[in-house]
Amino acid sequence: MSGGSGSGALNWSMGPLLLPPEDRKNPWWPFKRLNDWTIPGLLIALGALVIYSWQRSPHFFTVNNFVNIGNALSIRGLMAVGLTVLLISGGLDLSIAAVAAFTGMFAAMMINAGVNGAVAGLVALACAAVMGLINAFIIVRLRVNPIIATLGTLLLFRGLAYVVSEGDNIVIGVNAWSTFGRGEALGIKVTLWVFAGVLLAGMWFMRHSFLGNYLYAIGGNASACRNVGVKVDRIRMWSYVAMAILSGIAGIALMSRGGTAQPAAFEGAELDIITAVFLGGVALTGGRGSLFGTFLGLLIIGVITNSFVLTNVQVYWQMVVRGIILILAVSIDSIRRGGGYR
Amino acid sequence: MPPLLSMTGVSKAFGHVVALAGVDLEIQPGEVIGLLGDNGAGKSTLIKILSGVYFADEGSFARDGEPVSIEDPNDAMALGIATVYQDLSLVETRPVAHNIYLGREPRRWGIVLNRRKMERDATELLERLNITLPSVRVDVGVLSGGQRQAVAISRAVAQGGDILLLDEPTASLGVEQTAQVHDLVVDMKSHGSAIVLITHDLSDILDIADRIVVLRQGRLWADSPSAATTQTEIIGWITGALPSQFANGGSSNDGSSNGGSS
Repeated sequence: MSGGSGSGALNWSMGPLLLPPEDRKNPWWPFKRLNDWTIPGLLIALGALVIYSWQRSPHFFTVNNFVNIGNALSIRGLMAVGLTVLLISGGLDLSIAAVAAFTGMFAAMMINAGVNGAVAGLVALACAAVMGLINAFIIVRLRVNPIIATLGTLLLFRGLAYVVSEGDNIVIGVNAWSTFGRGEALGIKVTLWVFAGVLLAGMWFMRHSFLGNYLYAIGGNASACRNVGVKVDRIRMWSYVAMAILSGIAGIALMSRGGTAQPAAFEGAELDIITAVFLGGVALTGGRGSLFGTFLGLLIIGVITNSFVLTNVQVYWQMVVRGIILILAVSIDSIRRGGGYR
Repeated sequence: MPPLLSMTGVSKAFGHVVALAGVDLEIQPGEVIGLLGDNGAGKSTLIKILSGVYFADEGSFARDGEPVSIEDPNDAMALGIATVYQDLSLVETRPVAHNIYLGREPRRWGIVLNRRKMERDATELLERLNITLPSVRVDVGVLSGGQRQAVAISRAVAQGGDILLLDEPTASLGVEQTAQVHDLVVDMKSHGSAIVLITHDLSDILDIADRIVVLRQGRLWADSPSAATTQTEIIGWITGALPSQFANGGSSNDGSSNGGSS
């Protein structure tokens, strides 16, 4: 298509400036978009797992069991949603489980001190937000690598949870408060409704809001975003605060479900959550990934755990299988892209 | 007629390294300035100060004779300054349309990205510029170097300013595509826009540019109309073989051409 084009302020009428594109990395790959195989791949893996589990246990393919799987992943899922968004924007937060533990602990102590439950919850969430601000300050203002910064705050917040409780569990018992963690609506746990709401809102936000669009762009190339006037630092700050608030909700939910706040709550859970997020196709380098992928990653891990319990496999095998699946998924992805990490 | 944009006594240091020392520059409407200099002469720093990426340590700016400040890229864009950065500043993991409107996406109700309008506008813009891409929905990461350059230029054009800063816009382009970028420059000039063009390619700069400005070691070294300049002179200024046109190596008091805005 050569020749003149319309009459605008700029009439740049020469031959086509550009040739048709070629996919430089993998000419044999039939898809133009880089992301195209992540979701189908995850669905195939999930389908295979479901069929396998169905064959192995008659209790697997029942509504009850699916509700169980959902309930089990709902609380950690909240943190996975936040972490997905954070990783897409090129951030990382290893302190999520520690923030959750401290927030739950703080809420429990206030409740035991006679503070109104709703007030205690809100104050505890404000406290979580402050922890998020601390992370944000260290990473965004002091420009410390997020892995190191949040490794530090992981120890800090986790340590504080032990310090304020003197290492003991704080029991609040079963009361009106437990509705959040244990209550059900239409046969489904409140926490699962909350998770579903946060997940759907997050999916809408990342796809349709201009801020979600910026989070993807910042993860892809932060300096390019700065050069065109996107307030990169401000958006990053708020993303760490939002992450901490989601962690705080998860911490309160766990405390409410068990009626006990434990300083060791979610210890090691950050790695399980990160596993699910990476399994779902989020890139450590930022810019790529989706909440739907993370949801499938959570489901895959949830189904593995569930089916191992149903079939009486020794629980420690779960960890082994999770590790193998993560390595497989990421390796296939890397090979397909023509090598990501060098 | 006041200059479209003028900068007076602009300095910038990074730690102990002085990148720019008291540089004056006036950009007139319909003027193409060839900004030349060796590596590290301060060309890109100057562009980044004008585009708001860096904040000048010292110096003042005026748009149409009115004093203004350029503190961030949004200020620069509001002043009608559009930039094609040397690194192109594209997000490879995002589609073409999102890159073209990055930072200025059309929105609905303040928060919702109007993707359809953005893609339609981007398609129209590319058509108008006669740039052929498979679709505005493909990620920039799958495009070739020349195609990426075209996307970066489209973004600057879409910003709609009347001052275009081009930092080595033809670095990864072939001969024919370079000629097309030069046509774009001439076309924008004929519409009264001003263009500042950084290039290392001295072969045709004298044909395109109206004025040659040479930076050397962060100072204004030469400022001369193309018609009165030879390629040998340019090389002499860039390498320092020829002395600076300004008494003390281009200090701010000397002014660039005939009379500043102050």
